[in-house]
Amino acid sequence: MNNSLHIAGREYAENARTKGFWVNLLMFPVILFLSIKVPQILEEKAKPARHFVMVDQTGQFDVVVDRALERHYQMAVMKKLLEYQKKYAKPGLNDQGPDQAELLEKMPAQNMGINPSDPASGMLEMLAEQNPELLDTLAQPGGLDMFINMLASTLVEDPPMFEAPRQMLIRDEIPAGALDGIDVEHADPKEIVRALKPYLLDEKPLADTDEPLFALVIIPQGAENQIKGPGRLPKNPLECADEGVQFWSTNLTDTDLSRLVENAINKEVQRREYVRHHLDPDEIEKVQRTTMQFASFDPKKAEGEEIVSMADTIRKWAPIGFVYLLWVAIFTVVNMLLNNTVEEKSNRIIEVLLSSATPWEIMCGKLIGIAGVGLTMMVGWILSLLAVLKFMAGPEVEWAGTLFDVIQSSGLLPLFALYFLFGYLTYAGLFLAIGSLCNTVKEAQNFMGTATVILMVPLFTMVFIAQDPHGSLATFLTWVPLYTPFVMMNRAAADPPMFDLIGTGILMVLTSILMLWLSSRIFRLGVLRTGQPPKFLELVRSITTSFKEQ
Amino acid sequence: MISAADYAVELHGISKRYGDFTAVKALDLAVPKGSIYGFLGPNGAGKTTTIRMILDIVKPTSGSLTVLGAPSAMDVRERIGYLPEEKGLYKKMKAWAVIAYFARLKGVDAKTAKSTARELLERYGLSDFADKKVETLSKGMGQKVQVLASIAHKPEFVILDEPFSGLDPSNQQVMEDVIQDLNRTGTTIVFSTHVMSHAERICDRILLIAKAEKIFDGTIDQAKALIPKVVQVSGINDAAQLAAIPGVKSISAEGGMPGSFSVQMAEHADPQQLLRDCFQHGIELTSFQYHEPNLHDVFLHLVGDDAKVASFR
Ligand SMILES: Nc1ncnc2c1ncn2[C@@H]1O[C@H](COP(=O)(O)OP(=O)(O)OP(=O)(O)O)[C@@H](O)[C@H]1O
Ligand SMILES: [Mg+2]
Repeated sequence: MNNSLHIAGREYAENARTKGFWVNLLMFPVILFLSIKVPQILEEKAKPARHFVMVDQTGQFDVVVDRALERHYQMAVMKKLLEYQKKYAKPGLNDQGPDQAELLEKMPAQNMGINPSDPASGMLEMLAEQNPELLDTLAQPGGLDMFINMLASTLVEDPPMFEAPRQMLIRDEIPAGALDGIDVEHADPKEIVRALKPYLLDEKPLADTDEPLFALVIIPQGAENQIKGPGRLPKNPLECADEGVQFWSTNLTDTDLSRLVENAINKEVQRREYVRHHLDPDEIEKVQRTTMQFASFDPKKAEGEEIVSMADTIRKWAPIGFVYLLWVAIFTVVNMLLNNTVEEKSNRIIEVLLSSATPWEIMCGKLIGIAGVGLTMMVGWILSLLAVLKFMAGPEVEWAGTLFDVIQSSGLLPLFALYFLFGYLTYAGLFLAIGSLCNTVKEAQNFMGTATVILMVPLFTMVFIAQDPHGSLATFLTWVPLYTPFVMMNRAAADPPMFDLIGTGILMVLTSILMLWLSSRIFRLGVLRTGQPPKFLELVRSITTSFKEQ
Repeated sequence: MISAADYAVELHGISKRYGDFTAVKALDLAVPKGSIYGFLGPNGAGKTTTIRMILDIVKPTSGSLTVLGAPSAMDVRERIGYLPEEKGLYKKMKAWAVIAYFARLKGVDAKTAKSTARELLERYGLSDFADKKVETLSKGMGQKVQVLASIAHKPEFVILDEPFSGLDPSNQQVMEDVIQDLNRTGTTIVFSTHVMSHAERICDRILLIAKAEKIFDGTIDQAKALIPKVVQVSGINDAAQLAAIPGVKSISAEGGMPGSFSVQMAEHADPQQLLRDCFQHGIELTSFQYHEPNLHDVFLHLVGDDAKVASFR
């Protein structure tokens, strides 16, 4: 046993000292940090404002678009104001309220509308939708100051000045002289497009900004009649696509503006329909804001807490991350195991080892040492994950805090540790056996090539399993021993049936014992062998004979 | 009366078969404690296989053995040191750390292991390389480090499989010194080699195997006695008179020169006595040359033809 520990110590020291190990360890938090921070910075600083021009030949819609733009900006101000308030709130003030985790546990998950990764803006949208008055106040002259004054008492002494966000969507005047000689009101839209195309293609600059013209919106004559609806399909919609609103832009990926314009116009169209039917649009709008309380419940949860909460939604998806981590961690370390074994074999160090320790001791030593490396890596990852989330969890990245709380409170971590252990033992057994049969790293890699395809399955299926954790795919893969740890991790948040939990527990214990037993046989035979790896049949025969020998 | 306790290793009819091929056939051997034992034999003779069986790295197909009184070397592994035939070390480890590591595997505590490692490196001229990684050492230096690693735990029985291969002449000398230093402190040493001069200089006893079978086992002198002593004489007028001298087995004319003969002596005859007898019988000699046969001659005499066959098996 002592020898196993020495061997383990050496394996650990050797692998923990490699560059690869540290790169692996540090890459994760760095990538995580960047993947949160970079989009945030891009959004805040680098994303250019979108300038567009609009030609409304009907003269009926530019007002509504303007109003929607205004709304859009006020929402941004409101969001930033909330972040500002949270960031500089008096210490202790926020703690009195229910904390984030608790709040999330209580807040019903929405079927739609709220993006679990960004609940804050989702909530804000709901808020704005239901209380447009709030945004109107903000828009009035001095409205912003009023809000800031209102907040002042809840903030720390002398907070930095509130900086209003940049305006991201800007409607410009038509560039001077661009449409000279064209009767804008009656001209063929094609003519207008032709005249403005150089601006869209960034061949001609706009007057008061370096930004190119992002988009051109044309509402042609008679567009107000191109209305689709139940029982109203006047013409073949494919043929007259250009008779409705035209949105011209070289950038088709950023849909913020096109969505805004489309929604604003459609809303106005709907308002008119109400009027046509002698209905009061204001009343309708009030009615539309009326909803019945709706929440999902999960009969498996404790009584009184059955409500399916936001936290549950996050918890449902969090395992995917864990499955991925599990996979990467297991295969990183068992690869180390493989390489070390092959190295010892090709150097014939194994012979000295064998004269100093039994094959069983050598195997245990390697397993323990590499497990230590794996654990160090995992602990490093998880601590840095939590640290990064905690550090990032400001009002700007609300979901980070949410995820942090959920991970802490969900009980996924102990399961993760458990599945890592069994997954590791199973695959370590497999790779040790492979390693002991190969003479060179190259040979081992040939073996690995085939193995990798099989090993990729948990990665391919992890999203499907998260979506349907009790489906037939999930249930089937659960009982395939090589995949059990991954699939069970995948299903962990969905409260898998007791039978599966305990059954797979037993299965995993048996699998890892069987794997280790088999590989200790193969290891013993394999390590001293030179030449071609044995054929499968030969292998089976030698295992059975070695079994008889003992 | 020699009791079992006086032997470091005893092999009783040990055999190893790989499929249909016999690598070692019914080998009996007893290595006395405190001796230096050389395993000699052509390539593929079964030396390494025998050594691996002694160490319980491969299991004998039949036969039994004791090592330091135990039925398996595993039971007494802390008292054994081993240098395998194919040398190799962890490339990324420092020289002293490798030595200390293998010592620790043999039950030496951390502190002693470390100090012994440095001491050994110093003693055998490697102190400059103590803190270098193994991958930066030359092959020979690496091999020296490995030898030191196999003896750092002060074993009472050391097995070295071809310790001299790959070493330059001065390091071969160092290797001989290492072996003799160890032997002086009472360590039993078994080593295999193809270089007869080493064996002849330092071995108390040798085992000669060829084609899996023992050909000879005994002291160097016994080995030398196996081949007839040959004396070259010249200036002889009467060959019959020479042949009549007791102790002369046969004579043959030495190529070309008239009056020159090779004299094959009887098994225990003394060449000095032949010289005296010639003098007494009034046989006049112009030259008398006697070369003590060396181990090299013995080797070629015993396995010369076999060796060629074996190496092209
Ligand atoms: N694992 C094995 N499988 C099959 N045959 C083997 C195995 N190991 C050794 N042999 C055979 O056993 C015979 C003896 O090998 P061994 O290595 O003991 O020779 P040796 O005396 O050490 O030779 P050398 O002087 O070349 O090192 C050889 O013919 C070899 O081919
Ligand atoms: Mg050999």
